[in-house]
Amino acid sequence: MKTKILFLAMLALVQISQAQKLITKSGHIWFYSKTPLEEIDAHNRQAVGTLDPATGEMAFQLLIKSFEFKRALMQEHFNENYMESDKYPKASFKGKITNLDKIDFKKDGVYPAEVSGDMTIHNVTKPLSAKGTLAVKGGTVIANAKFLTTAHDWDIEIPSVVEDKIAKQIEVTVDVTYTANQ
Amino acid sequence: MSKRIRFILVFLIVALIAAVAAWKYTFKKSESNVASHKTEVTIDAPELLQAFEINEDSANMKYLDKVILVSGTVGSISKDSLGYTVYLKEEDAISGIVCSFDNASFDSALVKPGSQINVKGICTGYLMDVIMNKCYIGD
Repeated sequence: MKTKILFLAMLALVQISQAQKLITKSGHIWFYSKTPLEEIDAHNRQAVGTLDPATGEMAFQLLIKSFEFKRALMQEHFNENYMESDKYPKASFKGKITNLDKIDFKKDGVYPAEVSGDMTIHNVTKPLSAKGTLAVKGGTVIANAKFLTTAHDWDIEIPSVVEDKIAKQIEVTVDVTYTANQ
Repeated sequence: MSKRIRFILVFLIVALIAAVAAWKYTFKKSESNVASHKTEVTIDAPELLQAFEINEDSANMKYLDKVILVSGTVGSISKDSLGYTVYLKEEDAISGIVCSFDNASFDSALVKPGSQINVKGICTGYLMDVIMNKCYIGD
């Protein structure tokens, strides 16, 4: 509740200033792991994200339990054994576009974008940089990015019995459509 | 029939049943859960939202991972490559319930902005809104 009031207050402030903050409530963030034994993909379509075209500030928040797996048992293990989603229900990112001068939010087009900031998963916060694109079209902005991460980075222990089924490098894809008002 | 053959037969049958059960358990499809699942909580959208706004922790304890039948007013509908998102929001509210549907479980003829609907899904938590996924249109 407190964070929400803060967020809404921030939103209101930004709306008073010249540029309007962009928002999504149905951001699609998914990950993919592939080993010779197993291919896993899990999708979260409910990420909340904000993007401030004036400052380049970018923030995401999502619920771990919102990741949908093809198999129920995998989803259960992911939540209970690895991510401990009852204890750490959310993951978040807060950062900035570092090449903001190369992006014109007033002109339609696809711009290469670089973002860096801090990501928090499983109660571990680490710096993260990613490259991707921002596609400006009319009033909407579509952000696409891919980056690699490991379970180890976030203090997630993978038991040796399933070690061969989970890739060392897990690919995370961000596919988010921002609009001015939602 | 000798004792030995009978034993082997029984053993084989038991092994077969165990194998089928293990297979079904391991490869259980996640989607099939909600529609056939019994509703655990029936609640109005504003009441569910309020529970999370007042105390997120206690609402998590009460509603997380539960199959919930929520009734509310459709604020907006959006579509992406994986399915539909219905935003249940009362007219002057600032937050609502975000409900995600797979393409197969959504009927655009039934859901129009402003209409009153029942959505059955699993509550996964609270961000700026209450989040439900694997949703179906309820009765």
